[in-house]
Amino acid sequence: MNVEITGLTRRFGSVAAVAGVDLRLGPGVFGLLGPNGAGKTSLLRIMATAMRPSSGSLRLLGRDPGSYGPRCEIRRRLGYLPQNPGYYPGFTVAEYVEYFALLKEVPSARIRVAVATAIDRVALGDRGKARLRTLSGGMLRRASIAQAIVNEPEVLLLDEPTAGLDPEQRVAFRALLRDLGQRATVVVSTHLVEDVAAACAQVALMDRGRIVFAGTPDELAARGDGQGAGDTPLERGYSAVLAQARS
Amino acid sequence: MTAATRAPSAARPRPAARRPGLPTLRLLRLELRHNAMAWLLPVVFALFWLVTYRKTMAMPPLWNVRAASLQTGIVADFAVPVTGAAAWMGSREARRRITDQVMITARSRWERLLVTWAATAIWAMLAYLGCLAAGYGVTAHQASGGGPLWWPAAVAAACVLLFCAVGFVAGAFLPSRFTAPLVAIAAFFVLALSTEPIHGSQSSWQVSPIVTGPWDAGVQAGVATFYPFQPDLSIAQVMFLAGLTVALLGVLALPAGSVGRALRAVAASCTVAGLLAAGTAVGLTGTGSMDAQGMLDIPALHDAAGDRPLAFTPVCGRTAIPVCLNPAYAAYLPATASALAPLLGELAGLPGAPARIVQEPVAYQQATGNSVALQLPRPAVSGPPVLPLVLPDQLGQPAMTAAQQANQVVTTYGPDLVADVIGDGHGASQAQNAVATGLMMAAGLRRLDVYQLPAGHAIPGRQPPTAPGGPDASRSPDVAPGTPAYAAAERFAALPSAVRHAWLGQHLAALRAGQLTLAQLP
Amino acid sequence: MPRENEGAVITRARLIWLYAVGRRVPVAVLVMVACAAGLRIALLWHWDTYGALQLPLIFETAAAVSIVATTADPFGEPERVAGRWLPFLRLAATVALTAAAVALLAAAGTGGHLAGGTLDVLRNVAGITGLGLLGAAVLGAGLSWTGPTGYLIAAVYALYTQWHPPALSTPWLWPARPPHDLGGATCAALVFAAGLVVITVRGARFRAGDAD
Repeated sequence: MNVEITGLTRRFGSVAAVAGVDLRLGPGVFGLLGPNGAGKTSLLRIMATAMRPSSGSLRLLGRDPGSYGPRCEIRRRLGYLPQNPGYYPGFTVAEYVEYFALLKEVPSARIRVAVATAIDRVALGDRGKARLRTLSGGMLRRASIAQAIVNEPEVLLLDEPTAGLDPEQRVAFRALLRDLGQRATVVVSTHLVEDVAAACAQVALMDRGRIVFAGTPDELAARGDGQGAGDTPLERGYSAVLAQARS
Repeated sequence: MTAATRAPSAARPRPAARRPGLPTLRLLRLELRHNAMAWLLPVVFALFWLVTYRKTMAMPPLWNVRAASLQTGIVADFAVPVTGAAAWMGSREARRRITDQVMITARSRWERLLVTWAATAIWAMLAYLGCLAAGYGVTAHQASGGGPLWWPAAVAAACVLLFCAVGFVAGAFLPSRFTAPLVAIAAFFVLALSTEPIHGSQSSWQVSPIVTGPWDAGVQAGVATFYPFQPDLSIAQVMFLAGLTVALLGVLALPAGSVGRALRAVAASCTVAGLLAAGTAVGLTGTGSMDAQGMLDIPALHDAAGDRPLAFTPVCGRTAIPVCLNPAYAAYLPATASALAPLLGELAGLPGAPARIVQEPVAYQQATGNSVALQLPRPAVSGPPVLPLVLPDQLGQPAMTAAQQANQVVTTYGPDLVADVIGDGHGASQAQNAVATGLMMAAGLRRLDVYQLPAGHAIPGRQPPTAPGGPDASRSPDVAPGTPAYAAAERFAALPSAVRHAWLGQHLAALRAGQLTLAQLP
Repeated sequence: MPRENEGAVITRARLIWLYAVGRRVPVAVLVMVACAAGLRIALLWHWDTYGALQLPLIFETAAAVSIVATTADPFGEPERVAGRWLPFLRLAATVALTAAAVALLAAAGTGGHLAGGTLDVLRNVAGITGLGLLGAAVLGAGLSWTGPTGYLIAAVYALYTQWHPPALSTPWLWPARPPHDLGGATCAALVFAAGLVVITVRGARFRAGDAD
């Protein structure tokens, strides 16, 4: 298992953003759904080692990120795309990705190839020398995805990765996710159920810090049969599970 | 609730062996190409030219003077732009909201920040070296003696690095839009105020990088020309500045998560060591005192070999009585010799006239409060009659051109010279007054009303003014126009040079003994 | 006052307050108060020659850069296209802060040996603020401090040369001119007016991250 979470909790004052989550994830694409404020981003940030849990245990790639040494080793093999990624406008696309490759300690001999590969995989190969400030929002998002995958991570955490991408790019991105999921654990936090349907083998639904559903997208859709609001089976299943969890 | 996915993946192959240092260099290269300090270089160069370069190049081409001016000026010019740019770079991750993305990477925060700091510091140092090269290069071309003083340059370099560290740490810990400008201004404010508490030459505050020697003496042209430059104060300053820089850079690693435990211990040790070094430097500076050569001696750092005068071959003019200067002042020799030549021609060969006039150093002494007394050299008791000469530059007077210096030498030193030969002075006879005045007239010097010395100075072999609150009443009071002595002086000056010289040769002894009257003058 | 007008006044006051908070105006005011307090403390000592003029100039520049820092735009385009009030808010905020800075520093100098007096403070703060406003329009609020702080060094040196000739004397270095000098006051006023116009009409150049 690449991700093992047991009883994970994270509090902000009196608010439990994450309240007793259990997860065990191996290679594959795992979707994380939930309404705003459900705790998806907080969970993702904890898995990305950007934030410490208040309680519970977390093991990534067989290591405990609570200690400095194991945490460094995890970070070399981890990729993370936050919901609102920042960037240095003066960097070119290639420099931006290379910067993260260097920070992630990608072996020197492989950096150039890794950067080129990552840029190509997000279809920015022809914009490698363009400055970030000249890119559209969608291109910026793709550049940010490139920095997350440059080190061929074994755990890849993506928060709203398709925001700002056009339909064609979303289709391509889903294919990329499936490809990455063959070797790595990919966790995708998203509001777009069609992304989950198209790319994720497993999905969890969070509400108020807890996982209220875990299973396949088909199982989630089945929960919405005859009940729940939505235009697609997955949306109906989503709303049905939430309604049940809140009742 | 538990969710499980497919079977675990195969073990990841071990990464290829890494060449240590190369990724850091690549990171550094990226940072160098996108550093705000590079964009501020025009501001730095403009300030340097406006504030420091022009002023320094107007000073005499003496290495000690120019090096001191460059040190002080560069420190003041670089304080604001370097501190501000460093603060800007230190706050970059927070301003660009990239903290989460970089925080979860393997490279420690300390290493990441140090690379950014290093890039900023490299740009700042490149600017500094450019300014230094300009100042030292032109000085090397103009100076006629001595060589570049590297300790003042080291102090300024260390100060630039400290500005970088101060700004960067402030920006890293307080990433606000107000940080960069306020920290930059605060750095300049502290620098400007750092000399206010200095009282006397034993003040620890002289460790401030804008101090180049005993603060009360100021920049003296006569220092470090006859004696070697004493780097005691510079060493203490470098220790102080480097200590603070290391301490600040170590502080970057102290927040939790910035670095592993072992490295954090190293960083904490660096911080402590840096603070200790800085504190030691301050303490050492407080033990210093101004020596007779006008430099600050710090006992623990002092090299006694530096107390011996420099060996040099003086450069001499071809006047009737040779005027010899320290090679560092060679630029002044033609004008000085030319200005003194008429007078020296009148006196050469007379009994009691000096065989040579040689420039010598003044001696410095800390007086009460913040004042410094200069002791002029005395003539040698034995050996050939050599008269010491002190140029106005050595007396801390405002910078002058060679012609201005020569004119001042003639008007201040000339009467001394004549008085020594003729025996003019306090209690001298009217005949002596008249002959002295006549000789100066014959040499083309303007009539002097009263000879005034810079305050606190003494003339070799002469007494300081005795009349309370007024000029020296002994200086030719009876040689005002219309007096019999003045008329005698005019007659004496009107004689042919050979006649005048011959008469002096015959009657100088009697004249010095006061045995001659005005009527007995030719 | 009719209820509608009362509501409009409250709404506008609320708008002004939110604008001020978004621009970190309270922080800028705190900085100015600190500058005034620092100047007051410094004036407890007697400063002579050029030091007496250089010291207040440092505090004046610090106040000016804090005014300019408030021009940073945290919202970008959505704010710029949202109605007609933005230029008035920019103008009002800048003028009010400049007046506040002058008043605070002048008050701090009351009863102390503030060389140059209130006229000096007004001229220096307004002129240096104008420099910063022009810089904000070109470089963005985040880097707008480069102009005023560089100018501070040049002005400090110019003051020094009044006692150590040759004097560096040009009306464009107004801090080195006497308080009643018309040329210096004119130059400072021109720079302030130009900066004010540019900031009112265009605002500071938008750069993501400048407003943090």
